Amino acid sequence: MEFGTIEREIYIEADPEVVFEVVSSPDHLEQWWPDEARYDPVPGATGDIVFGERDAGGTVVQFAVVDAEPPRTFSFRWTQPADEPAVEGNSLLVTFELTPARGGTLLKMTESGFREMGWEAALLEQQYLEHATGWDFYLPRLAPYVASLEVRP
Amino acid sequence: MSAAVAERIDDDLWSAIGDPTRRRMLDLLLADGDGTSTTLSGQLPVTRQAVAKHLGVLDRVGLVRATPTGREKRYRVDDAQLARAVAQLNAVGAAWDARLQRIKRIAEAIQRSQDG
Repeated sequence: MEFGTIEREIYIEADPEVVFEVVSSPDHLEQWWPDEARYDPVPGATGDIVFGERDAGGTVVQFAVVDAEPPRTFSFRWTQPADEPAVEGNSLLVTFELTPARGGTLLKMTESGFREMGWEAALLEQQYLEHATGWDFYLPRLAPYVASLEVRP
Repeated sequence: MSAAVAERIDDDLWSAIGDPTRRRMLDLLLADGDGTSTTLSGQLPVTRQAVAKHLGVLDRVGLVRATPTGREKRYRVDDAQLARAVAQLNAVGAAWDARLQRIKRIAEAIQRSQDG
């Protein structure tokens, strides 16, 4: 019985170099997770990710790069308190492992630390899930709306 | 049950599972069907008193149910509460499923634009 670790695998039809960029660069992170990401994708770098707007009630979450070995591994810790270095016990550890496979990339993701962090971390995650679901709902509606604006004379 | 109360219980539930000895105890109770402080301490490197204390924590969050039998209480895992704890973690897994699908879409779009 394993509590507190999430493991996922997904096959992506893209080179490991491309996938590595998408999982590690702050610009790309903003496309698939937070609204804003500020950090250098190099080992030891610290920064933050923001859900919502930074200066308008958004949630700012600490982010620290643990490992970055292109195009094989990218890992980071998040949710640590702002005044503490990210270590086991005060943060969640996310690790991406990339393996070339069938002309594309097998991406393996693990997130651990829930059992040390307690339930608050999982609740925080759930909150972000709702946030993500919100965008999945709104974005498909936004594009036709923008297109309709453009056709106006 | 109010949302605030539910949240507090979830919090306690998670802390209860957070301890390695208590997780080991849950494993043993699931494997053996049930157990007492005495039977569990015989399989763990902790005293019977420590086991009794841990069982008290698990009992309070509803992960185990006690039935008095003779001098000692006999404990079983509460399947519904355990399933609940697992379901909460599954919600977090679903968040990652959605993120990974977006990562896949973005990476494959970049790849196509490079190949084209």
